[in-house]
Amino acid sequence: MAVPVTAAAEPDRQVSARHFVRLKLRVMGNNFRGQGWRIALFVAGVLVGLWFAAGGFLLLAAPGFAGEPRYALMTAAFGGGLLVLGWLLLPLVFFGVDETLDPARFALLPLSRRTLVGGLFAAALASVPVLTMLLATAGLVVTAGALGGWPAGLAATVGVLAGLLLCVAASRAVTSAFATMLRSRRVRDLAAVLLAVVAALLGPLQIVVLAAVQDADWDRLAGVAGVVGWTPFGAPWTVGVDVAEGRAWAVPVKLLITAVTIGVLLFWWSRSLESAMVGAAGAAPTKTRRAPTGGAVGQLFPKVLGWAGRDRFGALVARECRYWWRDARRRANLITIAVVGVFVPVMVNLGGPGFAASEQGVEFTGDSSPVLVSLSMLFVGVLASVTLANQFGFDGSAYAANVVAGVPGRLELRARMVAFSVYVVPMLGVVSVVIAVVLGEPGWIGMAAGALLAAYGAGLAINGYLSVLGAYSLPETSNPFAMNTGAGMAKSLLTLLSMVVSTAAAVPMVVAAALLGDAWLWLALPLGAAYGVGAALLGSYLAGDVLDRRQPELLATVTPRR
Amino acid sequence: MTGEHPALALRGLAKTFDGKVAVAGVDLDVPAGSFYGLLGPNGAGKTTTLSMAVGLLRPDHGRAWVLGHDVWGDPVGAKRLLGVMPDGVRLFDRLTGAELLAYHGLLRGMDPAVVDQRAAELLDVLALTDAGRTLVVDYSAGMKKKIGLACALLHGPRLLVLDEPFEAVDPVSAALIRDILHRYVVGGGTVVFSSHVMEVVERLCSHVAILAGGTIKRVGGLDEVRGARSLEEVFVEVVGGRTATGEELSWLSR
Repeated sequence: MAVPVTAAAEPDRQVSARHFVRLKLRVMGNNFRGQGWRIALFVAGVLVGLWFAAGGFLLLAAPGFAGEPRYALMTAAFGGGLLVLGWLLLPLVFFGVDETLDPARFALLPLSRRTLVGGLFAAALASVPVLTMLLATAGLVVTAGALGGWPAGLAATVGVLAGLLLCVAASRAVTSAFATMLRSRRVRDLAAVLLAVVAALLGPLQIVVLAAVQDADWDRLAGVAGVVGWTPFGAPWTVGVDVAEGRAWAVPVKLLITAVTIGVLLFWWSRSLESAMVGAAGAAPTKTRRAPTGGAVGQLFPKVLGWAGRDRFGALVARECRYWWRDARRRANLITIAVVGVFVPVMVNLGGPGFAASEQGVEFTGDSSPVLVSLSMLFVGVLASVTLANQFGFDGSAYAANVVAGVPGRLELRARMVAFSVYVVPMLGVVSVVIAVVLGEPGWIGMAAGALLAAYGAGLAINGYLSVLGAYSLPETSNPFAMNTGAGMAKSLLTLLSMVVSTAAAVPMVVAAALLGDAWLWLALPLGAAYGVGAALLGSYLAGDVLDRRQPELLATVTPRR
Repeated sequence: MTGEHPALALRGLAKTFDGKVAVAGVDLDVPAGSFYGLLGPNGAGKTTTLSMAVGLLRPDHGRAWVLGHDVWGDPVGAKRLLGVMPDGVRLFDRLTGAELLAYHGLLRGMDPAVVDQRAAELLDVLALTDAGRTLVVDYSAGMKKKIGLACALLHGPRLLVLDEPFEAVDPVSAALIRDILHRYVVGGGTVVFSSHVMEVVERLCSHVAILAGGTIKRVGGLDEVRGARSLEEVFVEVVGGRTATGEELSWLSR
């Protein structure tokens, strides 16, 4: 009975991946307890997922239904490749990654790295997006089965499952590695540059691809699809087609490629996972900063805020400014805005019309129109403002300080808008200059800036409301991409909603661009700026009133449950 | 000093979370100038009660007054007189200590020159000047408690409400905090704090209330509550503790 405490007791049962999956499902279930709206959001999210799954299924199964073998390889290679790319990049840019099971929680348990990674991987598989993916990619099985009988269908089934594993492993490895990088303040600049480079590569790449599509015949495209099929992006998805087309020997090779890729990704993940666990458990960076200068108030205000009054409003703005840079989560958002804000309009305005202008190919010709520019600017402005949709969630329980001090709601919202604008408005200025220069239409700077400001201001107003009424708590981890499961659905839907409403609010700018012609090139900036500022002020005025009545409730919703 | 109003008055405060009663009707009068200890085991409802008393959590029932100002009816008047150090709540910890103090001071509408002077003094007394430009998030637990206390004291409140001010604090810092609080009370301020460290409460407090299961079980002057016994004995008896001696846990001994 008495066992020496120095001898490690043999565990009675091995911890398997099953335990992690059950733990995750239990945590998800408990999140819903007594929260009707969360269940509703979850169901809505599942329905949206099913809708997309059905669309994807039809698209991928189309060659099979139509009996068109020559499209089958292309659909599988390009469709599957896009899925992998999506899993790789979307969590970084937009959605975040579900961290229901925070790796740091397992730091103290005697689990081998292999068990931990296997378990977390299995838990990551038990999610709605994965099920959605499974449904959609079942289309590939149908195609393979229709074209090559049951052996092809069987091969496609194995391939699709392997591809799914690949997608999840890729998204986990990349976000985990990125989170580790962003956590270290020293590497943050490198991370920003890397993200920018990746995005910068997307632009030219897209133009090249479009040019290729334009003058390529089907044979060349099929050739490209064949090559993609031999990379990890396409390998798992194309095995079914290979069998159907009589290349059964390719199946083991492609599955091996996939398996090796998954192995490498999991190994990479396990490495960054370890540093994430250790980092979260302590080891605060004890670097000595230079000695403080000046009084406490002087230290609080960054140099760019020299104009701000040393009062309540100034203090709120100064604190928010500091936070947008010092909080990894907020900084990740700023970087996203900067990158997406520059490249999406460039791609829309150069690449979009490229479809129509068949002869011009890769040339940088100004195919754009004022309406198209205004529309893409609308998107950028709205995207920038939507970052504030959960601005109180960033603060978490620290918001209690403002509640205790009794900060008036209108003052609070105005200060937050101003602080965010200190970063964003210069960025928007750069975007409008860049887009005008790239299009070779310097006269459009004012119009682009006007549309940007109008959309941004309208977005601030809408998101001011949303941030008071639809706030949710973010987990207190240092992973800027982490969020709770229930909140994941909430975030996506609320973000979508606010973007739609904000866009609608700024549509007059596009209408004016279409109707007013050249006069608009001069009127757009002053009118757009006035519209944006007016909307933001009105929004903070109205939403501030709501905030005054809801301060304690807001604090409760943004405080993470422990 | 502040006349007829008690520093803090609670009437019938109650709060239920998801069908679970956290606080079931608390009445309390904290006389001005007293050093008031709120005792209770873990999960007794101390934090919930104090949160409702200072306006951080809206009660289901009941009201709270700070020196005669209704916390929920006249929040501006009440919050001006109130300094709070919540527990389990993060500070705006991506600021340095000095920046955090400046933020709190300006948020309270103080004059910038006064903020500068008081912040420097507080950082000096609390031995936080050496931290320099270290962010509060990188502070140790004890340092975080001290900067939290400094934030609550900065604007010179008449009533100080502290949730677990001595938790995770080393003896040196604890002695420092005790001294500061003692001086504050001698100077006419009122302190209400929650704790489950009997020794501290017995040394500091003029009044105590024992909270368990969401209601007040004992309340009054320190000597009145403990009588001839030690406070710990009274506490364990009121709360109804259990001691583990017997067959259970036998595997702990070799």
